[in-house]
Amino acid sequence: MRTYDCEPTLTDADVMDFCREGHLVFEAVVPEEINQRTCDFLLHDEVTENLLEEDWFVDNVLLSPPVAGAVRSLLGRNFKLTMPFIFNHLSEEPQEAQGWHRDGSSHYGPELDSLQVFYYPQDTPQELGPTEILPGSHFLYGGFSAMEHYRNFKGVMSTAAPAGSIFVTAYPVWHRRGKSTSNGRRNLLKYWYTRTVPPLCDWITDPDLEMSHAFHRTAFNIDQRDAHRAMDDAAEMFYWLCGKHDEFRAWSSNLPVYYFESSETCSHCDNLVALPGRKVQR
Amino acid sequence: MGNRVQQQVAFCIEALKKGSLKEGDLRQIDALADDSSKRQNILYLQVRRASLTSDVIGMSLFADSVFHDPPAEEQWPYRSVAAAMADGWRIIKFPEMALLLDEKRTYGFGWEFILEKWG
Repeated sequence: MRTYDCEPTLTDADVMDFCREGHLVFEAVVPEEINQRTCDFLLHDEVTENLLEEDWFVDNVLLSPPVAGAVRSLLGRNFKLTMPFIFNHLSEEPQEAQGWHRDGSSHYGPELDSLQVFYYPQDTPQELGPTEILPGSHFLYGGFSAMEHYRNFKGVMSTAAPAGSIFVTAYPVWHRRGKSTSNGRRNLLKYWYTRTVPPLCDWITDPDLEMSHAFHRTAFNIDQRDAHRAMDDAAEMFYWLCGKHDEFRAWSSNLPVYYFESSETCSHCDNLVALPGRKVQR
Repeated sequence: MGNRVQQQVAFCIEALKKGSLKEGDLRQIDALADDSSKRQNILYLQVRRASLTSDVIGMSLFADSVFHDPPAEEQWPYRSVAAAMADGWRIIKFPEMALLLDEKRTYGFGWEFILEKWG
């Protein structure tokens, strides 16, 4: 088992955003030389897993500093690299869009014990059919076989991006290969990280953060579900990541959590109240 | 199709009154009523709320025996189920409300209506 540790780079707000949307974007973070080397490797070596024996790949892609810092923030110390599994979702374009799906063994809930990663070693514009993801869908229950008739959703996010871009998502996020219109070959490397330690609020923390802020509405607007349900689910994940799932109580009340709280204005957003005396205990 | 059949029936009635009705006039009704060459097209609309007038948030079209990817969201032809009905689509299935009553789990994407049009 290969594990890795580094300093976390995400803040409370970043982690809350991840809980709500289920993805992080790191655009062009892998050096061009490494992207080119990766493409050359994929062209000549049919065994993608052999990449994992290459230090230049592990150091610059799997452990790319901004990505590793985010993974460290969400999965804690000594997160595990899921070697020897890495797949190249190679496709010859043009092609129709793939069906929407979530990957096998997805489980819905507040736990975040793994992350899946998409890495483009080449420029991947819309014409090459980049992966599409549905933000917020990591809490949207849907069996794989029940999704086949879905085609287009409001709020879909394309991962069209320059070479060296990495997308990190919660494992159950709905996704598909988008429609491609140009000729060419699209490489997409997909791999995973997993947790080895219990969740412990182990990122860049604000000592004054009130836990109730996790429930508050943000600019991210989810269409496919009741807004309060979506906020509750995201807040529950945040509580879980803080190691405080036993304190989460959205489902034990019949009002939004913030209705129970004081009339103080939340110091982290403008329009809702905060719960005094429930600051995150570090 | 209905209008053309009705027009032919009206024509035949007039021809009957005038004594000029021919076998071919009646067979033309049969030909017009024959919809065996028509194919059922299916439109899935996922909407934000269970209402017919709620905003469309997802769309799939099955026509000519294949699924078609709809255009980008801003170019969707209908903004509500009601708008699709006004364009001749008929609802053949409403959302399964009973499956959506578990408040802790949401099944699938939005509230799904299935509509058909023959063409």
